[in-house]
Amino acid sequence: METVEKMGMQERRQIHNKHNEHKRELTILALLAAAVLALAFCCLFAGSSHMSFGDCLNALLGKSTAANNRILWNIRIPRVLAALIAGAGLSVSGLIMQTNLNNPMASPSTLGVSNAAVFGANLSIIAFSGGFLSTGNNPANYGTGANPYSTSLMAFGFSLLSILLILALCRLRAFSPGVVVLAGIAVGSVWTAATTVLQFYATDVGLSAAVIWNFGDLGRATYRTDLLMLAAVVCGLVFFQLMSWKYNALLGGDGAAKSMGVSVERLRFCSLLLASVITAVCVSFLGIIGFVGIICPHVTKKLLGQDHRFGIPAASLAGSLLLLLADTLSRSMGNGSALPVGAITSLLGAPFFLAVIFSGKSD
Amino acid sequence: MLRIENLCFRYRKRDAFVLRGISLELEAGEIGVILGKNGSGKTTLFKTILGILSPEKGTLKYDGADLTKMRSKERARRIAYVPQDIRFGALSVMDCVLLGRISYFGLRAGPEDYAAAERVLRDMGLEAFARRNAEELSGGERQKIAIARALIQEPGLMIFDEPTGNLDIANEQLILEEAGRLAGEKHIGILCSLHDLNEAFAFGDRFFFIKDGFVKYAVEKEEIREEMINDTFDTCVRIVEVEGRKIVLKSV
Repeated sequence: METVEKMGMQERRQIHNKHNEHKRELTILALLAAAVLALAFCCLFAGSSHMSFGDCLNALLGKSTAANNRILWNIRIPRVLAALIAGAGLSVSGLIMQTNLNNPMASPSTLGVSNAAVFGANLSIIAFSGGFLSTGNNPANYGTGANPYSTSLMAFGFSLLSILLILALCRLRAFSPGVVVLAGIAVGSVWTAATTVLQFYATDVGLSAAVIWNFGDLGRATYRTDLLMLAAVVCGLVFFQLMSWKYNALLGGDGAAKSMGVSVERLRFCSLLLASVITAVCVSFLGIIGFVGIICPHVTKKLLGQDHRFGIPAASLAGSLLLLLADTLSRSMGNGSALPVGAITSLLGAPFFLAVIFSGKSD
Repeated sequence: MLRIENLCFRYRKRDAFVLRGISLELEAGEIGVILGKNGSGKTTLFKTILGILSPEKGTLKYDGADLTKMRSKERARRIAYVPQDIRFGALSVMDCVLLGRISYFGLRAGPEDYAAAERVLRDMGLEAFARRNAEELSGGERQKIAIARALIQEPGLMIFDEPTGNLDIANEQLILEEAGRLAGEKHIGILCSLHDLNEAFAFGDRFFFIKDGFVKYAVEKEEIREEMINDTFDTCVRIVEVEGRKIVLKSV
């Protein structure tokens, strides 16, 4: 190291710049960002109200009819923002789960977050408005049940409970990745079973309302929910980006990372907690949107390798892109009513995912 | 430099001890070789020294400082590890080597870290590989990258777990010569485990025979006896001298 100490600052900077060019990675990130922006803009012009391009443009400037202005500013823009934010959040959560659990099949819901959210939301819907078979529909409580925040709050509360339960259990085994995955599956299945029992005793109205909630729908987004999701996703992204070198170290295994000075247990705890909270917030407001968190990180890994400095922003952008595309298709194909966006992400993403996995040389 | 006394470890409270009172000492620039059967606790011992596993009791000191109370960052600046199973992920060789500087830079590698990495890559003859994907390289090359990554931690002690396990004879020699050079030139202490006894005797200065969870024999090269090997490995070998070197002959 003596030679390094003798080296001038300018020389060190030159070496730093030489190895830090990353032209290819930056080009891909710029292309992804441009695609997201372009698609977000185009999405404003798609919808079931058959507004013309000119109407949309005028509404964007606030110069169209009151109805058109409302459609654009109160429905389409919050929806596009939700797709951008939730897509990025779910995708980056998937990437972080996969790295921290050393498992390519890990997803944002590995800690049973989605299953718990479904249970919470179904409980809220069925108990407060849909009603149980024994009591019948419960119109007196309908106001509470119909309030989207009470359902989201219940969904979020149960998600958080599930996350804390699993993390507390896994602490006993020093957050060993295998144990976390298995604990997630076990606790997740308990929530699913509880949901099934709940639905079995629900009235047909309650059941259909509950099942419809389970379909992911970006139409539930408002500026307020977007802001809450944005806060969670931005906190997560900043933390994940700061930890990107440490995630790179984790790729070599826990032992190697610890020997290089990474506090693996603490990193894993904070990462799993943040990734799960992001997922919980998104799922609680929008319902289940599957597969974004598995497809997008894998596609970006194929494109850019596993360097988290680029993988984290790339996965976020790819997630936004996929969800925007899926939501636009769901609005366009539903013949007036939007199809479940979760189904479209899988329908759209899975063939592309397969093509990426099976393309190129075999591993 | 490294002083271990009565080190005990077991994986779970209800399990038997894997390490049942290990004691050994190693000086700077010295090459210590741990010898023992499969499952005798060599890797467990290394992981305990590195802080990957926590000992149940015993003393673990580096230059008088208690390793068990040291923060992982502090420990990483003193002891580096070249594991048996080397994985990097799809990262460039430069980035893999830079990971060894995490205990110095924390969140973001700076110009001095890149300069140090380039110097180590040049020293190890890996300069041309800097931009290559580490996952696509051969076993020998990856081993060298792992050594470069350990070296950039500027450690006083390097731990090699079976460094020649998956290598051909040419790479085996190359890696051991490189490790020997580090001990000689940079005065880095080396603690390693090797399966091939002839390789071990040619390479090491001090030998620690582990059996039943403790160091049964701690000897210099000249003091090695057939009985020690036969007792440690429950085997029957002979030692012959060829051109001044001790060679172990397996009985068939």
